[in-house]
Amino acid sequence: MEANKTPQTFQRFHVLHRILHMVIILNFTFLAISGFLLHFSGFEWARFVVSLMGGAGAAGWLHRFCAVFLYIGILIHVFWLFYYKIVLKQNFCGPDSIVPGKKDITDMYQNLRYIFNKGASPLFDRFSYLQKLDYWGELLGMQSMGITGLILWFPEFFAGIIPGFFINIAGYFHFYEAVLAVMYIGVVHMSDTHLAPDIFPMEKSIFTGKIEKERFMEEHPGEWKRQEMINDETAQQL
Amino acid sequence: MNLKTICTFMVGAALMILMAAFIYTPAFAIDLPDTKVQKMTKAQKAAKEKSSDPLLCLDCHRARNIHTNEGVIASQAFCFDCHKDEELSKKKGSNIPHEITQEAFHANQPNHRFIACINCHKDVARSPHKTTLGAQCLDCHTRHSESPGNDPHSRVSCQACHFQSEFVELDPKDFKVKLSRNDYDGLPISLSDHILADVEDEQTCQKCHFKKNPVGAPAAVLPSKSLMCIMCHTSPFSMGHPLFGLASLIFIGGIFIMIAFWFKGSVKGEERSLHRKISLSSESVYKTIFSKQIFSLIKIFILDILLQRRILQESVSRWSMHSLIFTAILLRLGLSLFTAIGFYFNPESSLLTVLIDKNHGFTAFANDLLGLFILLGVIWAVVKRFIVKPDHVVSEYQDNITLILIGSLVVLGFLLEGARILVTQIPCEMAIYSFAGYMVSKVFSFFPLDWAQVYPLMWYGHGLVAAVFIAWLPFGKMRHMFNTPLTYFIEAVDGVKNEKRV
Repeated sequence: MEANKTPQTFQRFHVLHRILHMVIILNFTFLAISGFLLHFSGFEWARFVVSLMGGAGAAGWLHRFCAVFLYIGILIHVFWLFYYKIVLKQNFCGPDSIVPGKKDITDMYQNLRYIFNKGASPLFDRFSYLQKLDYWGELLGMQSMGITGLILWFPEFFAGIIPGFFINIAGYFHFYEAVLAVMYIGVVHMSDTHLAPDIFPMEKSIFTGKIEKERFMEEHPGEWKRQEMINDETAQQL
Repeated sequence: MNLKTICTFMVGAALMILMAAFIYTPAFAIDLPDTKVQKMTKAQKAAKEKSSDPLLCLDCHRARNIHTNEGVIASQAFCFDCHKDEELSKKKGSNIPHEITQEAFHANQPNHRFIACINCHKDVARSPHKTTLGAQCLDCHTRHSESPGNDPHSRVSCQACHFQSEFVELDPKDFKVKLSRNDYDGLPISLSDHILADVEDEQTCQKCHFKKNPVGAPAAVLPSKSLMCIMCHTSPFSMGHPLFGLASLIFIGGIFIMIAFWFKGSVKGEERSLHRKISLSSESVYKTIFSKQIFSLIKIFILDILLQRRILQESVSRWSMHSLIFTAILLRLGLSLFTAIGFYFNPESSLLTVLIDKNHGFTAFANDLLGLFILLGVIWAVVKRFIVKPDHVVSEYQDNITLILIGSLVVLGFLLEGARILVTQIPCEMAIYSFAGYMVSKVFSFFPLDWAQVYPLMWYGHGLVAAVFIAWLPFGKMRHMFNTPLTYFIEAVDGVKNEKRV
């Protein structure tokens, strides 16, 4: 088996999650571009780029269009959690789960110790605490972006429910959270996935769905161990 | 403090007062306009006292500015100045009141409060003070029709629906349905109150859609087209009648049953878990799409699916028959999809206005020609099956149902078009482009039926057959339009593979 030229790979992501990730990348990028262009409409460069996009109306339309599809992607992620629990009958507290648990706190503590050279690296499971932070940060952040965005989209409707100044507040929230999201994706997510020395230049597993055996063993030792145990058991049974 | 100082102070104070008096310019400026205002009020008073007095130039020729709200108010005030007068109409010798007050206008048209009158009534602000165009809604508002991408009302003016007046007429000059200036007894009525109608209310529709209406509307209010009509007609992105909703639900359910049937077989050795089967097959689809094989699949799509190469290789006559039906439906689908999507993005485009208007030469001709192709293909198939009966053709009941459904759909479509041309009284030079429908309408005109009442029945007949056809797609013979392309693709990817059993 090891004699194969291509390194042995393991399935890591389903097709659904790969497609969703691509959908979210595309829509997030367009949302960020069109949103910031609209926000900085006082500047000449922003006006120039917006005019290339077909004017402020077109940019606003693109922003709403992408927002709808981004949120559909987020919703499918939420539905996946239900599917995971109900159809696949997996445990949210189990090691394969994306839901944060007690182990993540100990992992974080141990990882800090490891960084300061005071102990061994933690045995990450399928998702490390950083990946969970990325995932839930986006999933929850998009909810509040969605709510403030809807308030800005349908101000007449919401002004009937909440006081008018909430619309201004929603505008501020929407902008500053957009800055936060773009900074988080651009700085934290990009560097902790792509810039790690042994992954650089690019983490491909979310696009191909595969992870090489060595990286699997190194980065997700907890899951690797379980996989090996399952393999051993099936081997014994056979 | 000596005298010199006191004198200096006094002279200084006097100078300051004098200068302040000079700086305060209104004292000088008031003079001119004051006399002007007095003159104008005098003139107006005179005009009120004696209405036969000619107006002075400056009564009308004022400086105006419609670019700011303030200017709009001034411009409106200019119109209201005369139109508040209840006696106004009598001056001209007619009985139609033309009076409208600012309060009434603001209450009836709250969204147009800050629009100058002459912004809509473009051609009244000149001499003679008379309108031929009427108010221009489309200068600001986009055309919407009944709902985007579906336009039976393209010849109806905005005001005919949106204004609260019961009386409509068909203008013989441009064949548009307009608000009438007279009631149905021929007496002139006032339209100056500007009250908008509640278009959600079906009663608004019934102002045209009643028996023996003068504008050529069908006698019943018909539901809007449904998204599922997009196979042949430009349609809005909505469900329309509940019947269509039911048909679409059955269609979607049937698609799911069909896909579930595909997954009954084993996928790469996996027999039981549906989750594993889906993830394995989606994995291989994903891999195929992001590989070079996609190009060969595109080639198959164009040659074998769009151009039906494999049927052509079997038999030219079979290909001709099948293509007449298939390509015509495909072209109509392409045209209506293009129109619906294009209209959604750019409702002001002249091209899309043409494509949406089914009375326009191109649209009418294209739809009739393609419909005729479908009918020809169906007739060919019927002749082959029931009259020529070659040995290799086995007539199953499913084939017969398909032929009956498509055939009756197209025939009903042509009858419907003929009835529409007859009912809406489209002039010959416009209707001639829909050649088949025009002939049908000529035939219909021999029958002394009330076609405005027959038309809704035929419409429901066509809609019902269409709903049955759509609902039946994933269950009967027409399933081949999903299965056959899929089989071609799977064969192309890796011979005859067991991944999906079709």
